[in-house]
Amino acid sequence: MRIKVRRPWPAALKGSRSEVGDGRGALSLCLAASVIALLVAPATVAVAQTRAPAPLHLEGSAAPEPWTRYRGWNAARWDDYNTLARRDLTRPPGQEIEIATVTGDPKKGQELAFSRARGGGCLACHVMGTSSQETPGSFAPDLSEIGAAGRTDQWLFNYVYDARVYNPQTSMPPWGAHGFYTKGEVGDIVAFLKTLKAPATFKDALDDPQKRKQPVEDREALDPFVNPAAERIEVGAALAAKPVGNGKSCVSCHADAKAAFAGWATSMPRWEPRLNKVLGVEEFIYRHAKATLDVDWRMQSTANTDLSVYLHSLSNGREIRVDASSPEAKAAVARGKTLTETKIGQLNFACIDCHTQEHGALKWLRGQWLGEFRGQLDHFPTWRTSRGTGETWDVRKRFQWCAVQVRANELPPDAPEYGDLELYLKSLNQGLKLTAPNIRH
Amino acid sequence: MADDIKPRIRVPQNPKKGDVLEIKTLITHPMESGQRKDTQGNTIPRRIVNAMAVTYNGKPVFSGKLEPAISANPYLSFFVKVEESGTLAFEWKDDDGSVYTAEQKITLA
Repeated sequence: MRIKVRRPWPAALKGSRSEVGDGRGALSLCLAASVIALLVAPATVAVAQTRAPAPLHLEGSAAPEPWTRYRGWNAARWDDYNTLARRDLTRPPGQEIEIATVTGDPKKGQELAFSRARGGGCLACHVMGTSSQETPGSFAPDLSEIGAAGRTDQWLFNYVYDARVYNPQTSMPPWGAHGFYTKGEVGDIVAFLKTLKAPATFKDALDDPQKRKQPVEDREALDPFVNPAAERIEVGAALAAKPVGNGKSCVSCHADAKAAFAGWATSMPRWEPRLNKVLGVEEFIYRHAKATLDVDWRMQSTANTDLSVYLHSLSNGREIRVDASSPEAKAAVARGKTLTETKIGQLNFACIDCHTQEHGALKWLRGQWLGEFRGQLDHFPTWRTSRGTGETWDVRKRFQWCAVQVRANELPPDAPEYGDLELYLKSLNQGLKLTAPNIRH
Repeated sequence: MADDIKPRIRVPQNPKKGDVLEIKTLITHPMESGQRKDTQGNTIPRRIVNAMAVTYNGKPVFSGKLEPAISANPYLSFFVKVEESGTLAFEWKDDDGSVYTAEQKITLA
């Protein structure tokens, strides 16, 4: 058997990722050995490294096949734009468009700028004068006086149409070049910008993104009356004790799961040589249970998420301590960092655009506070109150959500790119205490 | 997880005579509305908690009729004025005829 990387990997990274042979010859031996090893439950990392590796089902995907987007999510496809796996799709910017005078309808421009119907609207990131009709964001410069800033029509036009002609790393989406607005509509928006000449006034502190109070998440995350995901701890524990597939259950081997897995989730994800990729908790659940219990607990199934909640909860209060010391893990972390700097989707955002302080982090995206990388990986799986009646999401689903929000096709949850990303982000959360399941908007 | 039905009760600590207490209840239940269809197109039969009743020392203090639009794991809270120590007795009725019960003692300071 051979594990194949399913997507072309950019040439620069190819050297670090190769196909691996089979370890199956040793697997049956490992199986017996690891059962014993897990029963004695070594608690420290040093001991864990010397024991036989846990049996894993190595074939195929750990996600539903073929992968299809979740019901209720934006169903559009963005096949012409980069994803975290295909970083060669987005067309490079063209030349600066020469335009002496922009003629447009400022009233229509204002409607376009304030409407959320097409990319989210300018107010998500910019304050735009006193006429702002809703809580504006502070992600990007206040444009309330842009009409008096002495900018040429050509500069304004190109900045809205495709700001990459001035700054290749800009966080400003290429509104015209990526098809959100026609050239005529960009002209209307520019005509509106030229009318903005007075500083904004706000009706209250809530409306002013400079004065709006930073939200604090202080709910009792582990109280099932507060967090509906908290009761999944017990559901997951019950599932672990229930005979499945071949008649065995998790506790057949892991008699004292609470002790054996205390701290385990804080060490995940980890580099897995047999899969030649970074393995997270949820993919581990599928591959290990498939190999040992003959059960199909695919990633994103209710059973998988319940077990993930349970296993994470056994590490609550412990510090995150992922192991990124091996050369392979270091390479994965480096790839993960590159992924965070990769512009994806129709909106052309990279992770760093919103989640580093040099860019949008600790600022407002309309009414939403953008957090930094550190602090994002200590609370998954998490209950998302913003999703209908609420849903429990593991971190991979959160990655997928980010992709769809920037209008990029998401990857299957077991994609090696998400593994690299998770390991890199988790390494930035080193030392933070895990609380899972948690609760977030 | 249709069989993992578990009621939870939360009452305030150290109540005193005459206090108005907020009693919180949560029951893990699928609350299948009877409106959904499975992948074969067959209607999934309705199975909800259709009624809840609470007594304090045998006297009714809260009751409600629940309908299919109520979410899974219904969370209901209500207020009770306590004049004496006693026992709150909770009862949820399931469409399938099951009755789930729970009790909570309240001791006044």
